[in-house]
Amino acid sequence: MRLTRRANMTKVRAYFSLFRIKTAEGIQYRLAGLASASVGVFWALIEIVVFTVFYNYAANKDAGTLAGLTLKQVISYVWLSQAIWTMQPMSIDAEILKKINSGDVGLELCRPMDLYAHWFAGTAASRLIPVFWRGTVTLLCAILMPVPYRLGLPASAIGFCWSLLSFFCAFLLCTAFGTFVATVRLNVNWGDGPMYMMMLIGGVLSGGYLPLQLWPAALQTILLLQPFAGYLDIPIRLYLGTMQPNDAGSLILLQLIWIALFVAAGKALMAKRLKTIIVQGG
Amino acid sequence: MAQIELRHICKTFTVSLRPEGRMSMLRGAFVRRKKVIKALDDISFTIDTGELVGYIGPNGAGKSTTVKIMSGILTPDSGYCRIMNRIPWQERVAHVARIGVVFGQRTQLWWDLPVQDSFDLLKDIYSIPFTSYKHRLHELATALDISALLTTPVRQLSLGQRMRCELAAALLHSPRILFLDEPTIGIDAVSKLALREILKRENRENGVTMILTTHDMDDVETLCSRVMVIGHGRLLYDGKLHRLKADYAPWRSIRAILTEPVTPFHIEGAERIKAEGNVWTVLFNPDIIPAHIMVERLARALPLRDLVIGEQNIDEIIAKMYQEMCL
Repeated sequence: MRLTRRANMTKVRAYFSLFRIKTAEGIQYRLAGLASASVGVFWALIEIVVFTVFYNYAANKDAGTLAGLTLKQVISYVWLSQAIWTMQPMSIDAEILKKINSGDVGLELCRPMDLYAHWFAGTAASRLIPVFWRGTVTLLCAILMPVPYRLGLPASAIGFCWSLLSFFCAFLLCTAFGTFVATVRLNVNWGDGPMYMMMLIGGVLSGGYLPLQLWPAALQTILLLQPFAGYLDIPIRLYLGTMQPNDAGSLILLQLIWIALFVAAGKALMAKRLKTIIVQGG
Repeated sequence: MAQIELRHICKTFTVSLRPEGRMSMLRGAFVRRKKVIKALDDISFTIDTGELVGYIGPNGAGKSTTVKIMSGILTPDSGYCRIMNRIPWQERVAHVARIGVVFGQRTQLWWDLPVQDSFDLLKDIYSIPFTSYKHRLHELATALDISALLTTPVRQLSLGQRMRCELAAALLHSPRILFLDEPTIGIDAVSKLALREILKRENRENGVTMILTTHDMDDVETLCSRVMVIGHGRLLYDGKLHRLKADYAPWRSIRAILTEPVTPFHIEGAERIKAEGNVWTVLFNPDIIPAHIMVERLARALPLRDLVIGEQNIDEIIAKMYQEMCL
């Protein structure tokens, strides 16, 4: 019993090392990170201007507030969503995709590791790297902005704690979905198109383009239950206080359920593929 | 009991073909014909612990497929394979922990990071205890002369340096079996020699079994006592290298450098004579005519300046063998 536990611990360490080495590799590229951050800041400013116009001059300018989101909250929403926007998987991890295409998946299989966990660790790193630079710089700008544009404080301390936990779950969810898409790509020779569509749908339904609360009222329940709300909408709602800390438990549970489903689906797809895998080339 | 045993392994691949004729590109987008290719057709062999086997054959013969099956990456369609008492593709993780693989054309190091980082990661992946890892790394780094390279990012290494690091990476966890897929492809002579030297040493001192697929006949000649030749998915020859030579290249060759060009004429005992300027290449069969007599005859008939006796080039042997077997 103790032996197996120790064996598991060393395995976990291997995956963690993998995650660490890839992260170290990725965050070397400061300039790319800063470029992405400047896009984030620029984009956030545009969105803020557009929202300000709508909230002040639109025909039904109270619609947003009626939907439960004030202008001040929308501005905070925009900053937070821009900070973690690139955490969303918008492409399959470049290294994994290269390995699928070139047949180097085979080399990966020459390691005494579970390939799914291996990919999960790699995808996790590639989800974290873009946030590392873009996230910190965008948040820094958000705090230093003049008041009307500034990121607001969290609604409550307890809500803030829940939102931090939820942000972490969002990171796991993005990783789980990213890995899932990679396993689909491993199974099906559709090319990259359908994968990008899957991931784009995720981006739209995450609320990154338009906060989910501002979508039609009839869709609200579905929008909250669908997996991609967990990307950024749920943690941001907990931050803003548009979701109460009482509901935080069930919301995070919802995120966890989707994580579990994507992990299970990814593992199943990978196992199916590995049974009949044909390594390209050579 | 044999360490590696393969019996009647078969593997087929399907490839889709584009229909022929007009508008083929368009039709090919909707209908495709499938063609089945036999990559391996009833392959059987056994390899004992500590053997150093050269596995040769033309491109597309099935070499890599065999290696992939033995390393558990690929599942054969039928047949039986047992390596160190495990069926590779069924107990993959346990199996690969005890083997090492070097693919000459693919890297297993992290491209943008110092070599040392990749090694540290491998230490965690293979759960190598810290002390034995340090000892082993030192040993390999000295033997392969890569101590100075450990802090260099992989992308800045030359191909020869990188291959030496790849080999060290594959040997870090002291595998019992090492599969080498064209390890010396494209690298310079110095690196090649260092690579061969460490392979020989690993084999001699630690009894590591090695299977080497290559197109470089020098590799085979310096390293392997046993060769297997594969073509069209079938095992064509399995045995000692010198017997392969005796069967397919019984002749010796003499390169005679003359003081002036001489048009070829028949010399008794010579099987074939080729003249290029003032260099003659004379082939003869040493079973029929001893070498010293052949040399004497040449010396008498020609204005000799210099003379080299050698075996037939092994590349030519293999080429001839492929030709005879219609590969």
